[in-house]
Amino acid sequence: MSYAVELIDISKRYGTVQALDSVSLKVKQGSIHAVVGENGAGKTTLMKALYGAMHPDSGTIDLFGKRHTFAGSAQAIEAGVGMVSQHYGIIGELSCLENLIVGSEGSGVLNLKGAEERANELAKKMGFEFDWKAEASTLSPAGAQKLEILKLLWRNSQIMILDEPTAMLSPADSDALFESLSNLAKEGATILVVTHRLPEVFGYCDEVTVLRGGKWIAAMPVAETDPESLAKAIVGGELVQRPPLSTETGAPALLTVSDLSVKGPKGNLQLKNCSFQIRKGELVGIAGVDGSGQRELFQALMGTTRPVSGSIRFVQGATEQDWTNLPTRERLKQGLRIIPEDRLAEAVIEEWSLIENATLGLQRIPPFDKLSGNAVEPEALKIADLFNTKRGSLNDAMSGLSGGNQQRFVAARALLYDPALVLAFQPARGLDLNSTARVYSKIRELCDTGTSALVVSFDLDELLEYCDRIVVLCSGEFSEPKPDEGRDRDAIGRLMVGAK
Amino acid sequence: MALDPVQLAISTVTLSAPLALAAIAGYMSERSGVINIALEGKMLTAAFACFAASTYLGAVGGILVALVVGILFSLLHWYSTQKLKIDPIISGMALNLIAVGATNFGKELLPPDPIADGKTLPLQLFYVLAFAVPFAMMVWSAKTRGGLRLRAVGSDPDKARLVGVNPLSVRFSALIVTGVLTGLAGSLLVTETRNFTDGMTAGRGYIALAALILGGWRPVPALLATILFGFASAVQIQLKGTELAGANIPSGVWSMLPYLVTLIALAGFVGKQRTPGGLGKV
Repeated sequence: MSYAVELIDISKRYGTVQALDSVSLKVKQGSIHAVVGENGAGKTTLMKALYGAMHPDSGTIDLFGKRHTFAGSAQAIEAGVGMVSQHYGIIGELSCLENLIVGSEGSGVLNLKGAEERANELAKKMGFEFDWKAEASTLSPAGAQKLEILKLLWRNSQIMILDEPTAMLSPADSDALFESLSNLAKEGATILVVTHRLPEVFGYCDEVTVLRGGKWIAAMPVAETDPESLAKAIVGGELVQRPPLSTETGAPALLTVSDLSVKGPKGNLQLKNCSFQIRKGELVGIAGVDGSGQRELFQALMGTTRPVSGSIRFVQGATEQDWTNLPTRERLKQGLRIIPEDRLAEAVIEEWSLIENATLGLQRIPPFDKLSGNAVEPEALKIADLFNTKRGSLNDAMSGLSGGNQQRFVAARALLYDPALVLAFQPARGLDLNSTARVYSKIRELCDTGTSALVVSFDLDELLEYCDRIVVLCSGEFSEPKPDEGRDRDAIGRLMVGAK
Repeated sequence: MALDPVQLAISTVTLSAPLALAAIAGYMSERSGVINIALEGKMLTAAFACFAASTYLGAVGGILVALVVGILFSLLHWYSTQKLKIDPIISGMALNLIAVGATNFGKELLPPDPIADGKTLPLQLFYVLAFAVPFAMMVWSAKTRGGLRLRAVGSDPDKARLVGVNPLSVRFSALIVTGVLTGLAGSLLVTETRNFTDGMTAGRGYIALAALILGGWRPVPALLATILFGFASAVQIQLKGTELAGANIPSGVWSMLPYLVTLIALAGFVGKQRTPGGLGKV
């Protein structure tokens, strides 16, 4: 059997870090091949080598039996390789159609009419629908993902790489995506998927390759393994156990949100008359598809957006505080901690060192209020060590860390310094199984000592696994499952799409 | 105070033409993501090159030399910001200072009264170009591969790289066009006055940049903004020395008018954020 992709003995070193150490990967034509591994295992780096976005120090790349050396992505695209990166490659300022064709326009003078016709054909084939003239910045994450798939088809990519394609998608959109991929594979496309979600591997993939710490660990047909042994291969040991759920009720309310309405960036109400309470020591999850008002709720709770109406009250001990219009810095002083949605925009400054990043957001909070310069180093070490952030020196820039390791650092920073209320938006975004479990275990541990946490995730299974209670946001409206359906996946799933 | 409408219209055209050329020069550069405060220096250098070369090579030769110098100066900007990765504001300032010093020095080397009569191209040629180029640029940006790639790189160089578009080469081509257009703008100033004086661009490069920003980094709105500034300058010239409601206004106050218009326009009417996302990103 000949292979569509043969990567042999690929090695790559970044400074002192051996990102890839003689890793090989073979993929059969017309199959879906999963690439799994912990954060920093080298999955994305390997995919970048195949896409010409990184030059390996050694090793060979053969596509359909032909040797290739890529100086850049343009040549890889030429050779039939396409990649959808973790953060999508959609340029917001261009229209959807322009995004589709840019880089592979065909002629010097654009044939926009012809392009739109072909775009519609491709979209129809996949069952998608697009307003081609709309600016791409208006696309939802699911829309952007669909456009990325069409970009691969537009370029006649025979080999498609998808890096954590479902990280931003709702369960229904994820399923739809993999259905599309399965159809493409049946027609002969060769598909590589980097993922942390094992159900995707077992539901849709033909073979799987496991990487750990930049090394090749195993490769096998999915049919010959099971979730537990695959998980063990990924972590190279025993799994971190899921923390037990808290069953305690009757604790006093820590946060009371009443009739809260918040406007979104376009000026329309994105959160409508939302009321709920979080008890002391409770871990509450908010389920909902992306764009249901989670962002606006968090902004109001963080104090970065003023609500249109309603109130937020925070009770600590005997004192009740009105948080509705309180500045963020005062909320932080009272114990608010945040794991924000957009790591790079809201949580770290990439050019800064890990030491400098350790202080961000905590600068008025003990012990950071008394520390400056190198005195922060021991605290930075604590933060980096809590979830084993893989790193070089603490003085190195944050930009040198992989996305998952940055997330470990951000999560640790939010959880280490006496939080009273933790707001976490997709805290496991980009994290592997064990890191996810560790972060949630730490949150659970805090909740056992009286901290409360509110978690937004687009992954309902993650919420079901770790949260005491799940509430739902749908089109800005708040709902709670019936008491006996609090952990019923189907019932919550119906609330998420607005079906009663 | 009375304004002569015919004269006002003519002055508006002549005063906005160099601004329009420079603004579109800025469009090419900034829309590709290269912040360009060096338009002023590029114009000044080109003006001097045109003046000096006309002395020896005649009108056509003078302009060709001005274009070549404009391109080379512009590519120096590309090299410093893209290859050496120097901050575009700093390198832009450096280019402006080099332009002032080099032209000042170069002037000393020229024979007295260099341009003899008849050694210039017709001005109408420049005016037609100045008002046609923005429209051509609008069409080119929307309808060609080059225009699409220019906008892609200026919006997000990293994502452009992912679709196989190389920001380095797109910006190289863009800055060549910037060089050509600043070369034309500088040549226009010399052709109009048949002379070169120190600092003769007098801030036009910065006003052109302001017009580009006011036009939301779009060619035709930028042209309209340059016409607004040209109009303000034309009004200012006519009103200089006249009385306003019986009071004698010092001429310096009228001279402020175009700059005041620039300031108010930028502060008040920029409206929707249209800044290219990749501006200044390497």
